[in-house]
Amino acid sequence: MNDDIKERVTRCFVNIFPNIPPQEIPRASTASLAAWDSVAHVTLLSSIGEEFDQQFELEDYADLVSYPLIVDHLESKLKNG
Amino acid sequence: MKLNEALAINNSRKTGGPRKLHYLACSFEPLHLTTLFRAHLVQRLPEDDVEVVSGVYGDLQGNLALAAESQAVAAAVVLEWSDVDPRLGLRSSGGWSAAAKTDIVATVQQRFERLEAVIGRLAARMPVALAAPSLSLPPIGNTIRAQQSVLELELHQQLASFLLRLAKIPGVRIVHPVPADATEKRLDPKMELLAGFPYTVPFASALAASLVSVLWQAAPKKGLITDLDDTLWSGIVGEAGIDGVTWHQESHTQTHGLYQQMLGHLAACGVLLAVCSKNELATVESALARKDLFLESNSLFPVCANWEPKSKSIARILRAWNIAEDAVVFIDDSPMELEEVQQAFPGITCIRFSGKDPAKVWDLLGELRDLFGKPLLMEEDRLRQASLRASAELQEMGEAAASPEFLQGLQGTVTLDWRLDPADKRPLELINKTNQFNLNGKRIGEGEWQQLLAKPDTLLAVVSYTDKFGPLGKVAVLAGSLQDRVIRVSHWVMSCRAFSRRLEHHTLQGLLSRFPAATELEFDFAATEKNGPLREFFRSLEASPDGAGLVRISRAAFESQCGLLPHQVKDLT
Repeated sequence: MNDDIKERVTRCFVNIFPNIPPQEIPRASTASLAAWDSVAHVTLLSSIGEEFDQQFELEDYADLVSYPLIVDHLESKLKNG
Repeated sequence: MKLNEALAINNSRKTGGPRKLHYLACSFEPLHLTTLFRAHLVQRLPEDDVEVVSGVYGDLQGNLALAAESQAVAAAVVLEWSDVDPRLGLRSSGGWSAAAKTDIVATVQQRFERLEAVIGRLAARMPVALAAPSLSLPPIGNTIRAQQSVLELELHQQLASFLLRLAKIPGVRIVHPVPADATEKRLDPKMELLAGFPYTVPFASALAASLVSVLWQAAPKKGLITDLDDTLWSGIVGEAGIDGVTWHQESHTQTHGLYQQMLGHLAACGVLLAVCSKNELATVESALARKDLFLESNSLFPVCANWEPKSKSIARILRAWNIAEDAVVFIDDSPMELEEVQQAFPGITCIRFSGKDPAKVWDLLGELRDLFGKPLLMEEDRLRQASLRASAELQEMGEAAASPEFLQGLQGTVTLDWRLDPADKRPLELINKTNQFNLNGKRIGEGEWQQLLAKPDTLLAVVSYTDKFGPLGKVAVLAGSLQDRVIRVSHWVMSCRAFSRRLEHHTLQGLLSRFPAATELEFDFAATEKNGPLREFFRSLEASPDGAGLVRISRAAFESQCGLLPHQVKDLT
C-alpha cells in the first residue's frame, strides 16, 4: 500500500517538477525545492487529489509542505476510508 | 482532459520545432487553465514548440496591454464578471447593498469601453479568442434563482452589446459558451478562495479546448457536392415526377427542406455547390427549376446528372471547380455511392444523409457549419460562384482563351495594392488556402503574418482583377523584401479562379516597375505535391531552382520572356 502510494505521488511530483532528479523527490519540501512555489503547490496537490480521487481541505494546503507529509496524509486518509 | 493528462502531454511535447508563444490574458490566477490550454495547444500543433505566458494577477487591462507588446502569435482572453467589477466575484468584500448594485450597473459600461479599446489594439497584432464570463453572477438578484432579475438582465444586456462590438473588430473571435453537458459544475469556490482560480478542472479543460479550436481552426472546406433523390429532396424524381418529390413540413419531408436551406446559407457564404445525381439531366433541370426550392438553383454549378459511376461525375466537378479533393464534401443517402466515391477520392469528406432521422439531419447541419465555417466573411466569398462560372467558360474555350486577342477582349484591369494593411485578412487567407499556384506551400499564422507586416523591409503586393465578366476580387498575393537590389519573394500565391489571364506576369512586371533599382527576382521555391501550375510558370520563363531551392530571374530575362501584357494596371500606394 505504502509503496503504491509513494509511486503514484512520485509520478505526480515528476509531472510538476520534471527537472529534479527522481532520487531527490522523497526529500523534497517547500523549503528545499525552489521550484515548489505557491502555484506549483496548488498544482501538485490538485494533481495528487486527482490521482487518488481525494479532496484536500483548505488547511491541508497549509500543512502538506513536503513529500513525506503528503504520503503520510494520504496513507492515513485512505486507511480511514 | 484531466489535469494529470495535461501535465504529461506538456512534459512530452516536442521541442525544437517552430516556437509558438501564446498569451493567456485573464485577471484571475490562470493556474490549471494555463496547463490545460497548453496541453490542448500541444495536441493541436504537435510540430510546434508551444509556450503559454500570462500576466499578473488582478490586472486584465494591464495584461492585455502586455500581450499586445509581446512576441505572441495568438492571444486567449478569458473574462469573468469580477473583471468587470470586483464586487461580482467571490474574493471581494465590497458589499451588495442597493447603492453598490446601482453603482455596479452604472460603471460596467465604462469598464467594457476601456476593455474594448485595449482588446482592439491587441487584435491588430494577433488573433484574439475571447471567452465571455462563464460563471454565474453572485446571488444578488431579488428573485429566486429560477427567475431572472432586472439587475442580471441589465448586466447581461451590457455584456451582449460589448461582445457584439468586439465581434466586429477584425481579429477578435468570440468563443461560443462552453456546452453545459460536460461541465455541470463550473465554479470551484474552494480553489477560487484558496488560489484565486475559479474553475473546476473539467470546465477549465472544456474552456481551453474551445479557445484552442477557435484560435487554430482547420482550413474550411470550399465545395459541397450533393446527391438529389432522397437527399436534396424526398423521393425519386425519375419515378415520382418533377412535382412528386417533396421537401416540406406538410408532406413530412421537412428534413430535406432544412438541408436545402442549409445549402442556400452555405452558398450565400461563398461555398461552392454542385449536383451529382444518377438521373436524366433534363428531368433534373426541370426539378431544380421549381420555384419552391429553398435555394437558388443557379447556385448549383455544375449539375452532373447521368448514369455513370458518381466518381466520374465528381472528377468532372473537381476539374470545373479546380480545387483539391480534400477541400470537398460529398453528401448522399446511399452508403454504396459514398463508398464508391470514397474509394476513388480518399480525400473527400463523404457524409451520409439520413432524411428519415431528423436528429441525424440536425447533427449534419451542425457538422456542415464546422466544416465550412470561417472566422470572417470577405467580399471574395460573395464573388466566388460567379467568377468560377467565368473560369469554367474560359476552360471550355481551351487554347483559344489563351490567345492575346481574347485576353485583350476581356477588358481586364489588374490592381496592385502595395499597402501593408494589417486589418486586411484576405492576403493571409489566400496564402493559407491556395495550393496550386503556391511558391512553396508554407502556411503562416495570423500573429506571424502581423509580425511580418511590421518588419521595415517587407514588401507586399495584393492583386485584384476585374473584367467584362465581373470582378474576381483579391486573387493573388506576393510578399517578400528588397535587399541589395534583389527582390526576395518568400510567399506568392494566386487563386485558381484567376488562372489563364496572365496575372502572374502582370504581378512580376508591376513588382519590377515599382522597384526600379532591383535587378533580380529571387523566389524561395519549394516543390509541393500540388504546385505544378507555379512550376509550369517558372518553366515558361526558363527558370529552375538551384541547389538551395531558390529560383532566380533577372530583370532582363523576365522582360525578354514576358512580352506584351493584356490588361490595364492600377497601383494603390
